[in-house]
Amino acid sequence: MTDLTHDAMAVKIGHHTSEDAQRRLRRRYAAERRFKYYGIGAICLGLGMLAILLISIGSRAIPALTQNYLTLQIEIPPEPLVASADHNYMQFVEREILSLFPEAVGDFQAQRQIMSIMPFDAAGVISERVLEDVSVLGGERIDVTLQLTDEAQAYVNGEISRSTPEADRRLTDDQMSAIDRLRDDDVIVVQDGRPVLDIAVNLPFYEVVNQSNFQSLANDALYRLFPEVEGRARRDLRAIISPGAGFELRQMILADPGLIGSSVSLEVPLSDEFDQLAKNFVDRDLPEDQRRVNDAQIAYFDGLEEAGLVTSRFNTQFFTAADSRQPELAGIWGALVGSFYTLVVTLLLSFPIGVSAAIYLEEFAPKNRLTDLIEVNINNLAAVPSIVFGLLGLAVFIQFFGLPRSAPLVGGMVLALMTLPTIIIASRAALKAVPPSIREAALGMGASRLQTVTHHVLPLAMPGILTGTIIGMAQALGETAPLLMVGMVAFITSTPEGLTSPATVLPVQIYIWSDAPERGFVAKTSLAIMTLLVFLICMNALAVWLRKRFERRW
Amino acid sequence: MSMTSEIASEPSVSPPPQAESEARAKMTSRGVEVHYGAKRALHGIDVDILQHEVLALIGPSGCGKSTFLRCLNRMNDTIEGCKVTGEMTLDGGNIYDKALDVVQLRARVGMVFQKPNPFPKSIYDNIAYGPRIHGLAGGKEELDGIVQSSLERAGLWEEVKDRLSEPGTGLSGGQQQRLCIARAVAVSPEVILMDEPCSALDPIATAHIEELIDELRVNYTIVIVTHNMQQAARVSQKTAFFHLGDLVEHKETQEIFTNPQDERTQGYITGRYG
Repeated sequence: MTDLTHDAMAVKIGHHTSEDAQRRLRRRYAAERRFKYYGIGAICLGLGMLAILLISIGSRAIPALTQNYLTLQIEIPPEPLVASADHNYMQFVEREILSLFPEAVGDFQAQRQIMSIMPFDAAGVISERVLEDVSVLGGERIDVTLQLTDEAQAYVNGEISRSTPEADRRLTDDQMSAIDRLRDDDVIVVQDGRPVLDIAVNLPFYEVVNQSNFQSLANDALYRLFPEVEGRARRDLRAIISPGAGFELRQMILADPGLIGSSVSLEVPLSDEFDQLAKNFVDRDLPEDQRRVNDAQIAYFDGLEEAGLVTSRFNTQFFTAADSRQPELAGIWGALVGSFYTLVVTLLLSFPIGVSAAIYLEEFAPKNRLTDLIEVNINNLAAVPSIVFGLLGLAVFIQFFGLPRSAPLVGGMVLALMTLPTIIIASRAALKAVPPSIREAALGMGASRLQTVTHHVLPLAMPGILTGTIIGMAQALGETAPLLMVGMVAFITSTPEGLTSPATVLPVQIYIWSDAPERGFVAKTSLAIMTLLVFLICMNALAVWLRKRFERRW
Repeated sequence: MSMTSEIASEPSVSPPPQAESEARAKMTSRGVEVHYGAKRALHGIDVDILQHEVLALIGPSGCGKSTFLRCLNRMNDTIEGCKVTGEMTLDGGNIYDKALDVVQLRARVGMVFQKPNPFPKSIYDNIAYGPRIHGLAGGKEELDGIVQSSLERAGLWEEVKDRLSEPGTGLSGGQQQRLCIARAVAVSPEVILMDEPCSALDPIATAHIEELIDELRVNYTIVIVTHNMQQAARVSQKTAFFHLGDLVEHKETQEIFTNPQDERTQGYITGRYG
């Protein structure tokens, strides 16, 4: 040992046990502890924020879980089936007559010409038949005799003919030949010296009921509870029940035609203002002109409540209906189904394409300038604002390919474009993380490159790929901007029935409701947010479960 | 190549004359050069690998022995920027021929890697994978037979016969390496390449594998890369010493260890450098 090293060693004796060293050690531990506390603090802060968010949204959502109903004893006479129905019945006559003119199918102009040989209200006789006996609806065809217009009568009687100058007749040649054909077919006959149209008409029960307005029946039931209220004051009274009452009644009658002519007890939803009143969200001390319900209405309502006619129930409507202008009728189901269809399209498109692209780029593609360029561009695409994808969808899918607007198909395609880069990047990372020794082992066994990938690399990368896919899908679920461009940000009152029917999605529904002025939508918005979160959790749970299954197989 | 008969190891027949050796050559390499991009890793290697013999490749790290080994079943194809020139044959056919199917080549020339790399599947599936993709087994029973005989050949059957459905990755290091050998054997290759198969194993597992190599020699031709001089001396009949991309010496194992011709060989095997 040289002197130099000896000195150096001498200096270090006791170095690790000195006061100085102890202090350094303490500082080191203190730094470690501090870092630990920072970490715990950050997590607590995050959890606290999350808790505040969930509690505030959750507590606001609770009122939307219940809805107040008014029990009404409703008489169901056949009148609604005929009131305002004359025009509706005309369409059944039209259907019969036009079936005799197959060449006019699709030719709206020609159809109008043919139908105009009868007066508008010719079908009034049908209403009378229905009033006499409701069972003709949906039963056998009924024979009806309908009037013709004066001109048509004059032509049949020979008072005018084709040789009459155009200025003196209001019947065109086409109409004349239509009349001629109807006469030949014995549809136009002469009865008691007057030409009439004698035709058998089919009256489908469903269509007649569907086009009738039953709201007045519910209103009548309400009026009967307050016989002293008359005239214009009744307007205040009928504001208590939701316009959905007539709809509900119609559904009941459609389900059971035997109800016509009987009296039923039905719980009809309260309109939003009175639902809020029932939930005690209305300040009765406010001056009358600052409330949306006036003193008289409050008195009516209190009367109903005292009579025990107002009941509060779980709001199933919210989870089964589509959107509506009336908060008490609006539901999330339409948007939920829309989101589901959209995401199915997104998943079916982006997962196979994304994974295939990742496999090709990672396992097969040569490393050269072109693939480098592709890689850079994929990374860039992940950062493109999503509304740009919406514009692309509008220009390409809707305008160029002519796909329908507002459809989950197009929405899903646009979201798939948006999700693809995420899935490709995550999949490539997952593939890259598979140890090369596995590839070598498989190749060394004489497996082809595709076999190596499908048998060994892909299964090992699958958990990572699925994680990336979940992230991409969650992103797609919460996206509204690209859907704006393809018409999915819309007021849709029906639950979508397929990939091409008009639909909206959950975040859009939340956005629309948050913008609505009605008081009831405040709670609905919060409940919709909770629904979106639950949907997300379900989706992720499913993915985690799938991932576990995949892992267990290997 | 030395042809003296005194130094032949007992189990093998006495070394034949040159012409006969050519005829027995399972694989040959003539003027093989390998470039990694601009860097030349092998400078014209000429070696004959004789049937039913073990050839040991020794040399300091980075000398090109693994590169040469990987040329023999074209595993270098998978490395970006690697270019192989020269002629390399298997049973007289050029393995770098355009028409040659590399999948078929690798089925005939199996490989065992430095680190045990069983598939993350069951022990059974590890062995059965090769026969399955190459269609070697007609049915379930035949496949069971292949799995059993492969594991028996690799000396692993007794240890794992009751847990064939457990993952291969749950075995110990030595067992995993024997599993990899069994997996290579299962596709009935003609040549087995081993790239430092014992470098990650303890002496007992190493002894197991060395015994195994000696037994496998009866049926297969084996090329083994090793850093362990004693191992090369114990298991091989021929030894090739590589240095900086050159094949310095290639002859009978006993001779290379007792009477090295080249200074570099002598320096390496006596431990003066390397």
